[in-house]
Amino acid sequence: MRRWVVRSAGLAVVVAVVGILVGCGGGSEVLTLDRIGQEDAPKTMTVQLNNSYTHQAATPSWADGFEKSFTKFAEDHPDWKLELKIIPDDATTQEQARLLEAARVGRAPDCANVDSFVVPQFIDQGALKPIDEHFSEEEKQDLFPFVREVVTGEDGKMYAAWWATDLRLLYRRTDLVPEPPRTWDELIAAAKAAEEKDSEVDGYLFNGGRWEGTTFDNLAHFWSQGGELVDEEGKPIFGEEPHRTYMLNVFEFLKESVDSGASPQRVATIQNYDELDAAAQAGTVAMFQGGDFEYPALKETLPPEEFKKWEISFIPTMNPDDPQKTGTGGWTMGAFSDDPEKVEMCMEFTKDVYIGEGNQVTGQLPTSESLFSELDKFQDPIYDTFREGLKEGEARPGVPVYPEISNQLQIAIGTVLTEEATPEEALDKAYKNSLSAYEEQQR
Amino acid sequence: MTKKGFAPRELIGENRPTLWMAPLLAVVTLFYLYPAFEVLRFSVTNSSLLQANYEYTLRTYAQVLGDPVLYKVIRTTAIFVLASVVLQLALGLLIAVAANRARRRRLPGIVFMRSVILSAWVMPGVVIGIVWAIVLNEASYGLINLVLSAVGIGGVAWLSNPNTALLSIIIANVWRGTAFSMILQYAGLQSIPDELYEAAEVDGANALQTFWHITIPQLRPILMINIILITISTLNTFDMILPLTGGGPGQATEVLSLRTYNVIFGQFSLAGGAVLAVIMLAISLVITLFYRRLLRSEGVV
Repeated sequence: MRRWVVRSAGLAVVVAVVGILVGCGGGSEVLTLDRIGQEDAPKTMTVQLNNSYTHQAATPSWADGFEKSFTKFAEDHPDWKLELKIIPDDATTQEQARLLEAARVGRAPDCANVDSFVVPQFIDQGALKPIDEHFSEEEKQDLFPFVREVVTGEDGKMYAAWWATDLRLLYRRTDLVPEPPRTWDELIAAAKAAEEKDSEVDGYLFNGGRWEGTTFDNLAHFWSQGGELVDEEGKPIFGEEPHRTYMLNVFEFLKESVDSGASPQRVATIQNYDELDAAAQAGTVAMFQGGDFEYPALKETLPPEEFKKWEISFIPTMNPDDPQKTGTGGWTMGAFSDDPEKVEMCMEFTKDVYIGEGNQVTGQLPTSESLFSELDKFQDPIYDTFREGLKEGEARPGVPVYPEISNQLQIAIGTVLTEEATPEEALDKAYKNSLSAYEEQQR
Repeated sequence: MTKKGFAPRELIGENRPTLWMAPLLAVVTLFYLYPAFEVLRFSVTNSSLLQANYEYTLRTYAQVLGDPVLYKVIRTTAIFVLASVVLQLALGLLIAVAANRARRRRLPGIVFMRSVILSAWVMPGVVIGIVWAIVLNEASYGLINLVLSAVGIGGVAWLSNPNTALLSIIIANVWRGTAFSMILQYAGLQSIPDELYEAAEVDGANALQTFWHITIPQLRPILMINIILITISTLNTFDMILPLTGGGPGQATEVLSLRTYNVIFGQFSLAGGAVLAVIMLAISLVITLFYRRLLRSEGVV
């Protein structure tokens, strides 16, 4: 009798637990690992997303935020199911190349994350569909100028919805560097002064390793002098005057920062922003050039009294009157389908989940002035600085030869910092190789 | 003359392995031979990720082989492979002999030690690259420099000096690959009959003489196979180098496989990447044939 009771009670518990689990699952049936919407929904759209921009993001708050947005989208669009292809965050570069290849042979997903700096390539290849009719003229005009320029094709049509951006800035510890340096000379002097005040710190850190950040971050120094990497045809011109001089100035400045001791030689090994954060957290850096996205991380990880010491300013320039340019990147959504209904759904998905909502979830900067004013997330005064900085934003040239230019500039900066080559030798080699890659692409 | 009908049993008979070999042949053809053929085919084109059309040409070979960077990369690759293979083999043998001695003396903890060593081998290359990037970090909180500072030695420029950066990727690769060599050689050591060692002991041979005249000759076939496998595996290594140095500073640690990746995904040149892949294949084949000849001369195959 007793055994019978125990067994019955056990069974009841199992049934209850299964019931609860099924009940919970029932609520999220519209969202699975690779699908948004009911499985039997009559209409299907394929969507390729970076892992960070999904309910599987590594950052818990992002995962929660996108889970809510996806679920709401599915409930609002019961006729649709979105089949997801999720790209690991560390594979986005090669995946963009694969996406372009897939689009070329007509096998691209209907809707996908496209890196902002390759959008012009996708437009040139005819991979993206125009999306003008899904945005009002007011919405388009509200976008920052650098955003409009990148997403607009030669025919004047808009081809991608650029929803998240970022920018590069100078972070400094005010107890060591009270005033923001305006010029490169001031930056080096301030870095050395900081090292004298505190022998444990490196004066100035920046990306100098073999990765895209090295080119991208340091291009601000080149752009602020009026330099251009390519001409209107997309042909590299950074080795021709006056751009050659501008680039040489940048190389000389970076070399001087190491030679003078303002920066350690290990900047030639820095190939991610985490290392800059780590130095700030360890209290071993006075200034570093980083992205706006490092600000929340520092705020979260530094003790409040330490965080108070940090301030942000725009990137110093060669001359005091040069504009303080900054590199801007970020992600767009593009539609690849020939079916107008899917193009419309792709943009509806973008508007419902990413534009505004996605900025709130991720804290990544909006691409229009009005969203900065409207969204709660961006009311902290620091975002006024970011918004101001974006007015001098420069996007990387979206030409097919850019990745190779970037690769060559990374090599050049590395060889200059380690004294394997003079700035002139490094630049000439980088230019020659970039031109050669361009000519090969033009065959 | 009698006409013989179709007899499936004959196909799967002991001496006729056609049918049971078919799945293996299909897999090899589909996943090895066909991709290899495609790489060869792309190498004689000017194919690019940016254009649908391409034409057959040998110009890509001329361009790749005429690029002075290639020879710098081959030199770096040769140093990386040679140093890695020699060190992995020597350290693997050292650990295997020690483990084997411990086993023969029934010392405790041998299984635990084998598991710990093997854990380095099962770790993905990317993870190893990240771990070593932390260990070799030149900041004051980099693990090795922290230890060096504690004992009064100044920090070493592990990754920012082009020469030490190459040494650093060799160290990381040796750390990763030694376990594999150790396991192979440990298995080989166990197959050596104990009687040989006992006889050597009776003859009064010392440890070094025993090692040189018994262990090494008995282990030679395994050593040869080990060399072939780790040479090819090191030649293909790029997943560990990418997070560790990215090929830098400059191009100091750019090996052939990393160069191939950069050419395809940086220059969008499928043909250029295919030519580099063919060069790597050719190098692997030459090395394998060389080792095979050595094995033959040793009477192993």
